[in-house]
Amino acid sequence: MTGPALFMTPERRLDGTDKISGATKYTGDIEFPGALEAAFVRSPYPHARIRSVDAVRARALPGVRAVITGADVGGARLGRRLQDWPVLCWDEVLFVGDRVAAVAADSRAIAEEAVRLIDVDYEELPALLDMEAALRPDAPALHPESASYRFLEGRGPRPSGPHPNHQGYVSESHGGDVDAAFAGAVRVFEHEFTTPRIHQLALEPHAAVVWIVGDRVHVVSTNKAPFTLRDQMAASLGLEPGRIVVDNGPIGGDFGGKGLSTDEYVLYFLARVTGKPVRAITRMADELTAMNPRHASRIRLRTGVDATGRIVAHESHATFDGGAYAAGKPTPRLMVEGGVQTLEGYRVPASRHEAAVVYTNHVPGGHMRAPGQPQNVFASESHLDIIARELGISPLELRRRNLAHSGDPVTSGGPWHGPDLHALLDRAATEIDADRKRGPGRGVGFAIGVRHVGTGSTTITLRLDRDGRIEVTTGVGEQGGGQHTLIQRIVAATLAVDPARVSVRRLDTDSPKDPGIGGSRVTPVHGGAARAAAEALREKLGGRAIADAAATLLEPIEVSVKYDATAADHGACAHAMEVAVDAETGAVRVLEAVVVVDVGQVINPVGLRGQLEGGFVYGLGMALTEDLAVEHGRIRASNLGDYKLPTIADVPPLRIVHLNDGHGVGPYGARSSGELVNPGVPAVLANAVADASGARVHTLPITAERVWTALQAKN
Amino acid sequence: MSDHSIRFRLNGAVVERVVPAERLLLDLLRSDLGKTGTKDGCSIGVCGLCTVQVDGAPMSACLLLATQIDGAAITTVEGLASADGPSELQEAFIAEGGFQCGICTSGQLVAAAALLEARPDATAAEVSDWMMGNLCRCTGYYGIARAIASARPR
Ligand code: FES
Ligand code: FES
Repeated sequence: MTGPALFMTPERRLDGTDKISGATKYTGDIEFPGALEAAFVRSPYPHARIRSVDAVRARALPGVRAVITGADVGGARLGRRLQDWPVLCWDEVLFVGDRVAAVAADSRAIAEEAVRLIDVDYEELPALLDMEAALRPDAPALHPESASYRFLEGRGPRPSGPHPNHQGYVSESHGGDVDAAFAGAVRVFEHEFTTPRIHQLALEPHAAVVWIVGDRVHVVSTNKAPFTLRDQMAASLGLEPGRIVVDNGPIGGDFGGKGLSTDEYVLYFLARVTGKPVRAITRMADELTAMNPRHASRIRLRTGVDATGRIVAHESHATFDGGAYAAGKPTPRLMVEGGVQTLEGYRVPASRHEAAVVYTNHVPGGHMRAPGQPQNVFASESHLDIIARELGISPLELRRRNLAHSGDPVTSGGPWHGPDLHALLDRAATEIDADRKRGPGRGVGFAIGVRHVGTGSTTITLRLDRDGRIEVTTGVGEQGGGQHTLIQRIVAATLAVDPARVSVRRLDTDSPKDPGIGGSRVTPVHGGAARAAAEALREKLGGRAIADAAATLLEPIEVSVKYDATAADHGACAHAMEVAVDAETGAVRVLEAVVVVDVGQVINPVGLRGQLEGGFVYGLGMALTEDLAVEHGRIRASNLGDYKLPTIADVPPLRIVHLNDGHGVGPYGARSSGELVNPGVPAVLANAVADASGARVHTLPITAERVWTALQAKN
Repeated sequence: MSDHSIRFRLNGAVVERVVPAERLLLDLLRSDLGKTGTKDGCSIGVCGLCTVQVDGAPMSACLLLATQIDGAAITTVEGLASADGPSELQEAFIAEGGFQCGICTSGQLVAAAALLEARPDATAAEVSDWMMGNLCRCTGYYGIARAIASARPR
């Protein structure tokens, strides 16, 4: 079978046999004989000066091999783009959970005991715990020295905003004179929405091991982009990148959180002083309180429409709580980019967007599955729904009047490139039976989700053996998305061989550079490279069938292809949902959900279904329960029992429908899927609740209490 | 702290061991016996990653002391396959998309195998009830439910 014919048969995942038998070795499972275990002293204050650190008692504890403090890291700061986070703090701590000292000991229990024996004398300082307060003209700068911080991959200097407490700041406008466009509007609407901090919560905590042999630094970690981790470590620690080798195994869930690593840097110093491998496995409590959650947001939207409800002008002001450090953001603008261009997917002739990420004394924000976008889509799609009701038009009809057609101006400034959004919405309306009259307390909602298809560059190598087997090597790992199986199937389809004859091996960072997983890039970039490499091999064999060509080989042949995926495209989906709202309690029950997607050609049918279903429930958690609440700068959840994730008993009936307009830019017309579905779920749920009950909730999560309060306000 | 000698069956084989009183079953399995199929997620009995069967009943190994399983029969994910290969349930997890990253999978399989043993005719609602303590952040649970349904004896 070649091409699409193979893609229609369900895949057997390459990592399947090992995962069902418990044989897969994740970072925390690898045995390192003689390895020490690390633990960290963390700040109990959101902002404080460190007066002194007394580790005498800890050092005296049997089994403790080293204690280091901020004084031992030589001013090193870590980060994915802006390196602003001290590897260990030496003068000030900037959030509850910031690290002050580290211990390496013979066991984790001893290391944790030693941590309790370290006395830090703090002088508490006033904390900036509110984004608005942090942006007041007289607010003190949290990073007065920021001009001296390293900004990686020097595309110019570090971007700056109007206030020193801006981590990232964007102000852009598209389509000419926005004020004049607003002046021409018949009606103008303005609404504000807020969303809390939420956590990626991969069930595998971050873990890492570092050891040094001669002048080489060896790293195994749960980071999903090993080459970028290597470069970040090299910059931070003042080492040549070639001295560091990162060799990451399978990852137990990512969702963006595994893009940031913080322990590896400290472990380097501990490995250096002890001469031994040192390992750290993050406790779930520290995951919750100190590891780069999704940014809390406040988003204000203003939209002008003409007499028929067509959008003529739009503006957005989005503020994101970036926390104490920008280190978790890899983007050149230090922005959660999915939060900038509101009303994505709609025809908007003139728009203006201001987005700010603000330094505060909260936990640093990071990337989480479609960074910035769920906050944006919740605001945008709720805003549209309210406008429709104010205009006396059905929310469905208002969307139909405003959804972009190919080539229409959209809020990114460009013409719309991507699936037929009208077809998706129409199908969602049919599937949920939008016109059916529903009983009291029941209603339906809609939302549109669009997500760019990633771009980037990687190298893939194929080696054909005389027995006809093909080994693929790549720098990309496997964090659950089925990356290796995708590569395998594309190679097999292109060369018309049985996928069972194609194996995939991951290489460490002593191999051609790879961008890692993230930004919806694996299907277009790695899938594209797999196809290009397979085509290069076929050409090298003069177009002969693989089996025939292999039999005549005297030795294995190899082709290596560097591939650049550059084409702009989007995946898109339309959500529809029916809910029941209990007027007495405000409790919401999802009766049915429909997601109509265009992700182009399907490569891994089982894996794709998992991405879409999993993405839906990921969004459902954000919609209904997830809230990493803070009190006086401290995250209240201190264990997983305090953070409510969806369970198997919470998931509603879900129907997924596929459309394909045939224009996907990835291999064989594929598009990306991993970050497509979750952003729209809070929005569709909010809109369904409003339809069912009249309660409009402007803040996530949509708890019974918030619905009940909105119902009281309405009555 | 005192040491205790314990004797139990692990996936059918007898294990004898001297353990400190505070040793967790999870650490005994993972660190002392090298059975790393059983995972540590939350360490407090919430996530289900460490689920093992104790005399057929699913339990969190992070909440049990090693001394508490003296005399018991423990089944971990490593004990689910037979000499002929993976069980029907295990294969169903591959075919139905019962996992992605796989970190929850050992616990899911051990819990589900106990369910199929105890209540082979469980309804979908009963399956949900039984499996509620096993979190999965990847699949949204639909694939897990399909896998269990398809492995039920017909
Ligand atoms: S590790 Fe035992 S239940 Fe989470
Ligand atoms: S498969 Fe990743 S958490 Fe379940």
